[in-house]
Amino acid sequence: MSFPTSPPSGRSDGPSRRQVVAGAASGLALTAVGSGVARAETMEELVRRVTDGVAPAEGGVKLDIPALVENGNSVDVRIAVESPMTEASYVRWIHLIAEKNPFPDMARLHLSPRAGRAEVATTLRLAQSQTVAAVVAHSDGRYVIATAPVVVTLSACIDGG
Amino acid sequence: MFNARITVPPQAKAGEIVEIKVLVRHPMDRGGQSDGQGGTVPRKILNRMTATYAGAEIFRIDMNTGVAANPFVSFTTRAIETGDILFEWREDGGATYRRTARLSVA
Repeated sequence: MSFPTSPPSGRSDGPSRRQVVAGAASGLALTAVGSGVARAETMEELVRRVTDGVAPAEGGVKLDIPALVENGNSVDVRIAVESPMTEASYVRWIHLIAEKNPFPDMARLHLSPRAGRAEVATTLRLAQSQTVAAVVAHSDGRYVIATAPVVVTLSACIDGG
Repeated sequence: MFNARITVPPQAKAGEIVEIKVLVRHPMDRGGQSDGQGGTVPRKILNRMTATYAGAEIFRIDMNTGVAANPFVSFTTRAIETGDILFEWREDGGATYRRTARLSVA
């Protein structure tokens, strides 16, 4: 894109050269406003969407994921939740979120009282270094969360792989 | 294309909590890549796995593109009776795959 060198007063359509220059100086702010529609959701928004707006408590969830992984294409994760796993009190599901993945909702694992123990493991794809969250829904309506930062050296690329 | 390796303990005591490990061979193609003809490849992943044992669903995982290719899943269940654990996978496009693993309870 090029801008003509005519004086700003002679242009009535579009941003003037002076405005464009001023905009470039405050580029960060403009970008934030301009991309508001397509902006990625923050972790808090992603979590609230699965908990129906409830802010989950912390504690009682062990999210075991490596702090540094070389290959984001397959990342082992193990989640253990403190729960008696009886008919009266059990873990309904565990939802795994990666805020910077193209699709942040990675998986939801549904448990039942017959599990005996709320401990599951799986393998994930991480597009880049980011925070991973495990949101746990207890049968009594409580939500608990555990988060862990993960540094990914070689990401799970969008094409191929 | 699809192959599942299911590991259950060879023998379990009644009431014992056993860990079941499932390793599936599947590309879990997240789609979106160019198909070389101006279009994009559709997503083709296993989007769900359910495990049924002793008359009820004991575990289910809903998977999105954030689950790795050749996914591994581990979960636990309480051994109740000798019988088959039925695993069923649902793939994008409607295909389903079924496998069973026998749990012997002493």
